[in-house]
Amino acid sequence: MSLWVDKFRPKTLDDLHYHQSLSTRLKSLAASADFPHMLFYGPSGAGKKTRISCTLRQLFGSGVEKLKIDQRVFISPSKRKLEINVVQSNFHIEITPSEAGNYDRVVIQDLLKEIAQTQQVDLNAKHRFKVVVINEADSLSRDAQAALRRTMEKYMSNMRIILCANSTSRLIAPIKSRCLLMRVAAPNPEEMQIVLEHVAKKLKFDLPEEASQQIAEDSGGNMRKALLVFEALKMQSPDLSGSLNIAKPDWETYCHKVADLIVQEQSPARVLEVRAKLYELLTHCIPPTIILKTIAERVVERVDEAIKADVMHWAAFYETRMRLGNKKIYHLEAWVVKVMSLYKHFMYNFDMADFE
Amino acid sequence: MADTFVATGLLGPGPSTSLLGPSPATDAVFLSNGLLGGLCVAPTHAQPEERARELQEGIDEPSASKQAEKKNTFQPNGLLGSQDLGGSKTDTFSSSGISYESQDDHFPPISDILGLIPKSPRNTVSSFSRSFIPTHIRAPLRATTYDGSAIHIARKRYTSSAPTRLSNLLDVPIHRLKDELSTVTASKLSLSKTTTRASELHKPSSSVSEDTLWVDRYRPRKFTELLGNERVARETMAWLKQWDWCVFGKKKSKKRLREDDENYNPDDEYHRPREKLLLISGPPGLGKTTLAHVVAKQAGYEVMEINASDARSAQVIDERIRPALESGSAVGSVKPLLLIIDEIDGATGGGDNSSGFVNKLVSLTFDRPKNKRKKSDQKDKRPLLRPIICICNDQNANALAKLRPHARQIRYTRLADSHIVKRLREICELEGLRADTRALSTLVGVAKGDLRGCLNTLQFIKSRNDEVTEPLIRRATVGMKEGDTTATSVINEIFAPLSRKRVKELGMGEEEEARYVNRLSHSIEGLNNPASIANGCFAHYINCHRHDANLNHYEKAGDWLTTFDSFSSIMYTDGDFALHTYLPYFLVPFHPLFRERGEKRVERDSSDWDNLQLTRANEEIYKSLANGIRSTGRTAGANRHLITGQVLQLEFAPFINRIISPPLRPVNSQVIKPQERALLVRLVEIMVSFELRFVQEKAEDGQNVYRLDPPIDVFVTYDGKRAEDIAVSRYAVRQLVATEIDAALVAKQADAVEKGKEHAKANFFKTLKKGITENADEAPESMEVIQGNDELRRLDASSEPGPENKRARTSGKVDIADKPPVDFFGRPIAMKKDLRRSSTSKKVVPDFRIAYKHLEGNSAAVRRPTKVSSFL
Repeated sequence: MSLWVDKFRPKTLDDLHYHQSLSTRLKSLAASADFPHMLFYGPSGAGKKTRISCTLRQLFGSGVEKLKIDQRVFISPSKRKLEINVVQSNFHIEITPSEAGNYDRVVIQDLLKEIAQTQQVDLNAKHRFKVVVINEADSLSRDAQAALRRTMEKYMSNMRIILCANSTSRLIAPIKSRCLLMRVAAPNPEEMQIVLEHVAKKLKFDLPEEASQQIAEDSGGNMRKALLVFEALKMQSPDLSGSLNIAKPDWETYCHKVADLIVQEQSPARVLEVRAKLYELLTHCIPPTIILKTIAERVVERVDEAIKADVMHWAAFYETRMRLGNKKIYHLEAWVVKVMSLYKHFMYNFDMADFE
Repeated sequence: MADTFVATGLLGPGPSTSLLGPSPATDAVFLSNGLLGGLCVAPTHAQPEERARELQEGIDEPSASKQAEKKNTFQPNGLLGSQDLGGSKTDTFSSSGISYESQDDHFPPISDILGLIPKSPRNTVSSFSRSFIPTHIRAPLRATTYDGSAIHIARKRYTSSAPTRLSNLLDVPIHRLKDELSTVTASKLSLSKTTTRASELHKPSSSVSEDTLWVDRYRPRKFTELLGNERVARETMAWLKQWDWCVFGKKKSKKRLREDDENYNPDDEYHRPREKLLLISGPPGLGKTTLAHVVAKQAGYEVMEINASDARSAQVIDERIRPALESGSAVGSVKPLLLIIDEIDGATGGGDNSSGFVNKLVSLTFDRPKNKRKKSDQKDKRPLLRPIICICNDQNANALAKLRPHARQIRYTRLADSHIVKRLREICELEGLRADTRALSTLVGVAKGDLRGCLNTLQFIKSRNDEVTEPLIRRATVGMKEGDTTATSVINEIFAPLSRKRVKELGMGEEEEARYVNRLSHSIEGLNNPASIANGCFAHYINCHRHDANLNHYEKAGDWLTTFDSFSSIMYTDGDFALHTYLPYFLVPFHPLFRERGEKRVERDSSDWDNLQLTRANEEIYKSLANGIRSTGRTAGANRHLITGQVLQLEFAPFINRIISPPLRPVNSQVIKPQERALLVRLVEIMVSFELRFVQEKAEDGQNVYRLDPPIDVFVTYDGKRAEDIAVSRYAVRQLVATEIDAALVAKQADAVEKGKEHAKANFFKTLKKGITENADEAPESMEVIQGNDELRRLDASSEPGPENKRARTSGKVDIADKPPVDFFGRPIAMKKDLRRSSTSKKVVPDFRIAYKHLEGNSAAVRRPTKVSSFL
């Protein structure tokens, strides 16, 4: 038994509910003999991985669904052991190299070479090549990306690579130029409603129009989130009637609380309070960039038009530094102080203008 | 170097020495003009033996030594300082503007000087050993001053007043001993042949041998010589005296007995003091070791010193300490032994390992008497009958934790500065060093009372100058006392300006005090852990309530911190450690930004560390959740998209918590409404598939609680509060769910067993081994136990609500569903699993036919299926 997210996940390209044109393109690509390297990109929850697995199925048939998961151990140059979870079928292999952190280059090199050097043994296979799916390609280090570019050309006969990323901005140009770029856009609310209603119909219960609308709007184009929310709602109030209280993820609520604290008062004591909350968020393993982004968005909502641009500018500034640095809390707090100072400056000038 | 080098007299001592360095080895020509500073000592590459030999050659008047033949004449000018030993081997001797008389026949004295100065180079010695006769050796120096008047400089008689050292005889290598002997004979010989004439001009003691450290030379040797801290010395002595009864067999006078009452141990048959160890602690250089030695000597003990610097393992106790203590006195000595363990804070075994040095030492002291009293097992163990003194710097060192309760502790504090200054001045006088009180008190201030450090500094100064002045002290003590800083002290230094006292001690002017960058960056660098300083700064800066309306200071601080972080992380990722030099400078700005006088001291802040630990713990929970997810789904790995990237933290964790907490009513699963029934089933299915369980635990107040495992509910708990929209599931509900989950798990396992059985049957002869392991893994008994428990729990749950409902109405506060089950009298019901387990399991066992096959030989003919029950 599984969650609805999994249960109602389309298996074939025909089952997909939206982006029909993309599906037809993928289908024709899979039918042709020369399947290219591909790069799927788009926001989280748009359906990239669903489309990848559908494409694989189109390519190789239902055999790709017979998966096995194992843990591979790679040895880094400094003799450290890296354990990577590898999901594979007879026709493809799926890895998340970001699990290896800084040593992703080793994983990429070792694994790709190994796959590239073994030919497809199944004579009944539709294609002579294997497919390597690389998840979270945008978190690949530069080294790893560089290691990828030559391999992609050299072992073209044995292997195709499908990259999956949220955005192409952090992929180096040589990689992008070697791939066929597939943009998977987030579904619009109507499309999401269709999916939600499909789920409801399959489960044989009635989904009120406004409920589905609310869920779709609330999840902001993230289909996975929408389905999780939907299931949570269904669990908590089985009849789905009345006013729906759609729960935001707790970290998000908490981030908003922090933003409110920043806007309410600007003082060292408040900074200390905010710091405690930031620590709380960090201990819950919420990625610091997400924290910064969520708080910044909320702050921007609440402050005057005049300083909105500045708040965002500094958020971007400190996010860059944060990515460079180690101690995330320093950067988060530096931004908080910056925003407070901005706000105070603004209010101060504003007040003075009022006086005159 | 072959060119003639003519000293102009303007050269400082520095360059002349450096030029002189290689000159004796090459053909350099060096003409001393007598104005060279006293430091103009030719390099000391002469071996002592050679020196001694050559001296003797000079004395025995042999044909000139072979080396000397190469050189022609040596014409020292009359103004050569006693240490000015430049060797010359040229025919030409150019005068450098000072009139001098070259009187070879009258001018033998340098050899004499050389005889007394051990550091004379051999070139010089040999160069004149040819040209004069050693009978003149003790003749006074004759010299002419600028105005032409002749003066005589008397040789100072070498008095062999070298203090007897505390160190062993074996400390001095044999060649040095020989060397000393020959020097002494040489001087004796010359003494007998010459007449001494005193001259007032000569400075005293400048030629006294410098081969002992002043620290050793002026070490107190008697109890009365001990400086300051009389209380400490007396306390130590008093403690040692308490051993007299035990060690010397003396009876205490009645008066003493009364005094020592609090430490007198009447139970002890040996009349030892209650604390058999003495722990002296205090900062370095105050004379703790000396105190221990002096007191021990005074009390009539022979000292055995164990130094943790070279022996810090527990082995030492067995190998050296125990035999020594048991024999009671050192080899060849009649005096009883006293053990001094120096630097004990460097010893091993402070922690839990029972074999550490300190632990061994403690056991040495106090579990002996028991053995003795028992009389029965008197193996090789004998009681401790000799005092032990331990010395350490840090009283609170981790290594001493075990020792402290068993030791008498004496804290050695810094002496009053005036005492030290007085002693220093006495020494300076003895050494012929002019020193003013101001300079000496500065020295003491800089050294923070470290007497040893002071003496070493003075000796160092003495080697160059005859006068101690404040600037000299400043120069000589640069970098002194820099090492012993902690992160907290450095942070304090950053956040507080220098105290007036310290400023005075360091003798800094207004301007110098204001120059903080160098000072602070030095101390940050000295600690060599900029990250911890940065952490401290980060923890503290926001507490500094500067009246700063715009938060400008904080903004700047943030900038510096982030820059620091970027730098250090680049340094670590790229391995570019050259950047390390720059790191301290990013933290220095906190000083001008937040310096405030009179702020309270910065305490160590551990919140960052605590949060890190918490993060680690939560990461582990995520990991176990991810492991649960990985295997779920319609097909294996179908849910893997839920754990990639940040989906797990951001989307899955919050919503799975909501999904698994539906509003269930705490009713018996048998009488549940069909709608709720469906909900329950679905919940159980989800939880089972994600390997989530409710685990029963006892809370602190003794109540039974069901805890989610893995505890993914922490992810909806912020600031200790759960999200409001998630109802806290009640005890009874959780119990209901838990039983259902267990049932589901059992069913699942049973399925697996059934499958395995069929599988085994089908492939009985094909995959023998496989079938065996599968079946053996899932022993039927344990499953039955679980089922039995389930029934029990169900029974409990269903039987409870009756009586409890009534009570709930009366109290009306807590819903009974939130409470664990209690019996009629309000006592929590203990589950009697154990009693009924055996009966239920026995009953159900026969349901499963499990075969066990044993491999006997290669032929299948002798294999036969055996039931597990036959093995039980």
